Amino acid sequence: MSDDKDPLRTDSQPPDLNREREELLRSFPRSGKLAEEIVMELDGMRKRIAELELHNARLRARLEEDDAIHQLIERIETLEAEKRELLHRNERAQAESEIFHERFAQVEGEFSNMANLFVASNQLHSSMSPRRVTRRIKEVLAQLVGAERYCMYLATPGGHELVPVASEGVGSHDLKPLPTDDSRIGEAYRTDAAVFDENADPSQGTVDDPAVVIPLSIDEKVVGAIAVFSTLSQKTCFTTIDFELFKLLGQHAAAALVSASLYVQAGQKLPGLEAFLDLSV
Amino acid sequence: MTAPMAEYTCLIVEDSPMMRQLLVFALARVKNLRVTEADDGVDGLRKLASARFDIIVTDINMPIMDGLKLVKRVRSDPVHKDTPIVIITTEGSQEDRQRALQLGANAYITKPIQAPQVIATVKELLKID
Repeated sequence: MSDDKDPLRTDSQPPDLNREREELLRSFPRSGKLAEEIVMELDGMRKRIAELELHNARLRARLEEDDAIHQLIERIETLEAEKRELLHRNERAQAESEIFHERFAQVEGEFSNMANLFVASNQLHSSMSPRRVTRRIKEVLAQLVGAERYCMYLATPGGHELVPVASEGVGSHDLKPLPTDDSRIGEAYRTDAAVFDENADPSQGTVDDPAVVIPLSIDEKVVGAIAVFSTLSQKTCFTTIDFELFKLLGQHAAAALVSASLYVQAGQKLPGLEAFLDLSV
Repeated sequence: MTAPMAEYTCLIVEDSPMMRQLLVFALARVKNLRVTEADDGVDGLRKLASARFDIIVTDINMPIMDGLKLVKRVRSDPVHKDTPIVIITTEGSQEDRQRALQLGANAYITKPIQAPQVIATVKELLKID
């Protein structure tokens, strides 16, 4: 029985329980420290996560802000484009407005010219008194043309001389019959065309060098001439309407004057109806 | 309902029937302007005494009473002392212009007239657009 081995008995040396205990006891503080370190590290990580989340939130907010800015930029670009379009339209409208104003001024000018011609014609033919007709001719020259010194001549029956019949601002020594084959006044009579120098200042004209000479006709026959020796100082050039008025005077003045004279000679009697019966052509 | 447009009255004092007709034609282009004509200064004063005018357009050289005398009389008239006066004349010298303006004229236009100039002057003095 002595060989019976104790089942609990081993050949190896028994563990040094004391030492293990010591080691175990020694390892406890280390583990605690490690656990403390782990806990601290965990706290640090949590803080870091919180920081990162905050940073992330900020970045997200900023990104949203960037989107808003982007949208604003897009809006500004759209508005800028609209502004450019409006400016362009405004420029076009201004240009059209200027054209309109120019055309309006042209129309007003034309209207003014037409009114001048109408009034001149109306006044020339609104009287059957030779004196009044003469006064109206002078008014057309003075008021509408701006003539300061002028004379109206009628040709003698033979057509050799031009005799002054009405004048303004001219001395009596300058009012004498003129031969039709000489002088600028005679030239207008002979050629049936207005004589003038388009480059000359009409206010500087003289009796010898009139600003303009207009032939007077009745039924396409030249019967006299009007010489405008000079114009008012402010009238330094002739315009289109002046030449229209010259044409009107040339075609109407003598006719109005002769009609009035014949009417007076006829004792201011109107011809009987029989005088008008065979007028249809 | 829109308010009725203001109506303006203008007195033209001019001895030449032709010029009067031309001025009437020109001023007919001004909207709501009613024109009355007078043959000379005396006739003008008579018409000024019988009605109120917003503007006077007058010639200078006229028989009986010239335009400058008319300007003087108008400026001493309590009713029309502030009424704008436009002189339309053949007298183109600077002295004539100065004299008329010193007497109280508001504008000075020399003949031959351009209707657009007369219209613009009247509109400006009446403050019409």
